[in-house]
Amino acid sequence: MKKSSIIGMIIIAIAIGVIVSTYADSSTYGSFSEAIKTKKELHVVGKLDKSKAMVYNPQQDANYFSFYVNDNAGKNCKVIFTGVKPQDFERSEQIVLTGQMLGDEFHASKILMKCPSKYTQDKIEVKEVTAQGKI
Amino acid sequence: MDIQFTGEHLLPGKLGQFFIVLSIGASVLALISYFFATTAKDKLDLSWQKIGRIAYRLNLLAVVGAGACLFYIIYNHLFEYHYAWAHSSRTLPVFYIISCFWEGQEGSFWLWAFWQGVLGSIVIFKAKSWENSVMTVISLSQVFLTTMILGVEILGAKIGSSPFVLLREAMEAPIFSRPDYLSLIQDGNGLNPLLQNYWMVIHPPTLFLGFASMIVPFAYAVAGLWQKRYADWIKPALPWALFAVMILGTGIIMGSFWAYEALNFGGFWAWDPVENASIIPWLTLIAGVHVMIAYKNSGHSYFTATFLVVISFVLVLYASFLTRSGILGETSVHAFTSMGMDTQLLIYLAAFFIIPLVLFIVNWKNLPITKKDEDTYSREFWLFIGAIVLFVSCIQILATTSVPVYNAIFGTDIAPPTDAIQHYNKWQIAFAFVIASISGFSQFLKYKKTNIRKFFISVGVSLVVAVILTAIVVYVVKIYGNMMYILLTWSAIFSILCNGNILSEAFKGKWKLSGSAVAHIGFAMLLVGALIAAANNKVVSLNNTGIGFGDEFAKNNNPRENIILYKNEPTKMDKYSVTYLGDSTSGVNTYYKVNYKVINDEGKITENFNLYPNAQQNAKMRQIIASPDTKHYIFHDIYTHVSSVPLKEEEHHEDHEGHSDDENYQKPIVHEVIAGDTVRFRQGFILVKSINKNAKINDIPLTDKDVAIGLNLEVHANGTVYNAEPIFLIKGNAKVDFGKKVDEAGLKLRFTNVLPDKGKMELTVYEKPKEDKKDWIVLKAIEFPYINLFWGGTIIMVIGFILSIFRRSKEVKEA
Repeated sequence: MKKSSIIGMIIIAIAIGVIVSTYADSSTYGSFSEAIKTKKELHVVGKLDKSKAMVYNPQQDANYFSFYVNDNAGKNCKVIFTGVKPQDFERSEQIVLTGQMLGDEFHASKILMKCPSKYTQDKIEVKEVTAQGKI
Repeated sequence: MDIQFTGEHLLPGKLGQFFIVLSIGASVLALISYFFATTAKDKLDLSWQKIGRIAYRLNLLAVVGAGACLFYIIYNHLFEYHYAWAHSSRTLPVFYIISCFWEGQEGSFWLWAFWQGVLGSIVIFKAKSWENSVMTVISLSQVFLTTMILGVEILGAKIGSSPFVLLREAMEAPIFSRPDYLSLIQDGNGLNPLLQNYWMVIHPPTLFLGFASMIVPFAYAVAGLWQKRYADWIKPALPWALFAVMILGTGIIMGSFWAYEALNFGGFWAWDPVENASIIPWLTLIAGVHVMIAYKNSGHSYFTATFLVVISFVLVLYASFLTRSGILGETSVHAFTSMGMDTQLLIYLAAFFIIPLVLFIVNWKNLPITKKDEDTYSREFWLFIGAIVLFVSCIQILATTSVPVYNAIFGTDIAPPTDAIQHYNKWQIAFAFVIASISGFSQFLKYKKTNIRKFFISVGVSLVVAVILTAIVVYVVKIYGNMMYILLTWSAIFSILCNGNILSEAFKGKWKLSGSAVAHIGFAMLLVGALIAAANNKVVSLNNTGIGFGDEFAKNNNPRENIILYKNEPTKMDKYSVTYLGDSTSGVNTYYKVNYKVINDEGKITENFNLYPNAQQNAKMRQIIASPDTKHYIFHDIYTHVSSVPLKEEEHHEDHEGHSDDENYQKPIVHEVIAGDTVRFRQGFILVKSINKNAKINDIPLTDKDVAIGLNLEVHANGTVYNAEPIFLIKGNAKVDFGKKVDEAGLKLRFTNVLPDKGKMELTVYEKPKEDKKDWIVLKAIEFPYINLFWGGTIIMVIGFILSIFRRSKEVKEA
């Protein structure tokens, strides 16, 4: 057998390995209900529930942040993140959580937020100059 | 209805737009002229070539003109232009105006077109017999690039996006119906604070020069196929390929250094899709350079060399598609958002993929592809294997980075790996091990045929020495827990030894070989440095003091990487005693002074330094943007950033309806006083000095009938004396009073009434509630060991590239 064919076969084998590994390592986007079922790590896309309390109290614990999220299926769940509360968290429009269920709480290892960033939003800030001065 | 808008400066935009159209026209003309110059039968007729040269230079001039107009617009804060409004502000330092060019897509396309224009003009000087065909390809690319900033709609399709679009054309808002709308727009949106860093001034131009210079070897490869000079192109293209690799490598590392110095993700490489997109073409072209050399010296690997050079530029275009189409939105934190130019980018990509593909197919039978196998103990064989391994490692990075693309094409819903860094590392460490090993032992191989006995002796010696050194290194840096780490360390040390051997030959006079040896040593050092710093970095701010939030939370044993520091209270953190000493504000940044001390057993201070991590507080957005500060030692770095700080309130509180300023104070206390009285409050006392019967009030004219009385007060608090004069006014029948605030003492003082029957004045004291909060910051600190190996290795590698460029361009001249 020619050396080039052996090399070719090795490359194909590695390429298959790469594809399998990509697929095996890849996660899925799911909902809280699915997270309860699988117990595996997955991505949950949802929105912050602003009506419920967010807890971040660095004086008590600088690495504990809890909040509530409504996933895209509408299910509400408490989320715990071991870390610092991202400062503009309230303004997020969408949250992608990576993590898993533990008990009835979702423990997130990563939070990716979509924010209407000041630097991408197309909203003009108008400053109106008022004619009358205040006394 | 046409509105005559006032205050707009339309000339620079019109001129800029004219330059863009001119640059497109000129590059089309250059394309046509060079095409005919290449295909002309009469090789002595140079008229087409002359036109091509003039057209290409005109194109460069026009691109420069457009850039000058854009600079003028940003520099003069002409916010009638969307680009200036969206990416700059009045407070932006002049130094960073240049960064506005690459915050937006239009500006970064301009930058690319500019570099391609410059590079093309150099090719015109240097390429000699290759000029016509190579410049045809480059001109075609320039046509595509310049149309990216055209911004014209043709038959409903938007072609390009112009940086000279007016704000009122780009957006809809009611204010644009007013002729004087400009006077209402006080300031632009401003530059993203993360880009306000000096690395961001030089990183993007370097990176784009690297991307742009990849067109030159690509153009040579295509021209070689087109002109049926299959093999000739490799020699003149080699210095260009090395140049592209050197510049792109430098640009990538600068980005990595920026991330390390200015971003707070705590590292220098995160396998972010945007980072991957830039490293993939770099790796493929490095592989390409190696097989180009193999072909030049042995006649083997022709197809691999051509293919890798071609695919590198195709991957540059793919990278720009990934980063600019918004497709990475869910997976990357710093990709651009879509500008609706996806189709245009895809056409560009398709054109530069299909043209070489067709040329390959047409010329397939005539390509100088050897049927014979290389000898196993030959350098060309292992150069080829090394290139293939590099390429396969790129396929791995590409496969995972492209997950959002599969989702878009097949409508699937696959999420990227939950632990991306782990996913990439497990593959790339293995690839790096193979590549470093090959780059080591292949140094002892010769082209065509090697003396096997001699080879095994030399390799054997290096191998054994490397094992001994690895054992020492592994012990010292403590990475014995992971077999892959040990193997990679061994392979890198082995590579350094083998290449060091070659380098020592260079000192004996074989100077021209030194380039590759130096570059390989640098690369191996970079690998070890990255490995140790990434594998062994240690969060020193581990926090074990958190109070329980339930058993479930504690059981999970999460890494608790942030620690709270109270002002002036030393906290023990690893071996350091860390104290937050206070903050100071300079410009938009607040710097937090944090002191680190190491005290040894005898109570002596062995290390003592301050770090100033900063945060940009944006009270309006209620967010902070933190940047780290790092203490550099030779063998390790202490890296620190604040992760949470108390937000500073906005300074100006306006009274909203229903909310009065008084809500910020405790219940007021009314005192009846005369001159000479003392009034106590929590933090000190107030001395009533005198009564001013002729008090004056700003903005209010007083007549003879009005009575304005001031109360001269001295507030003693915090060891300081503040003066205040609240005023009581009777104007006509109305009683009004003007209170005074003494914020330093947390007081508001009002002179609320005059009591003539008692002969006393009524003084109402408002005091702020006692602040029970102490100043605090939440901080994260990481120790990066041996990271200087990483940066040092990079510099050595770049020096190696420079040496190689000199050697290879000398070969072109000699030929």
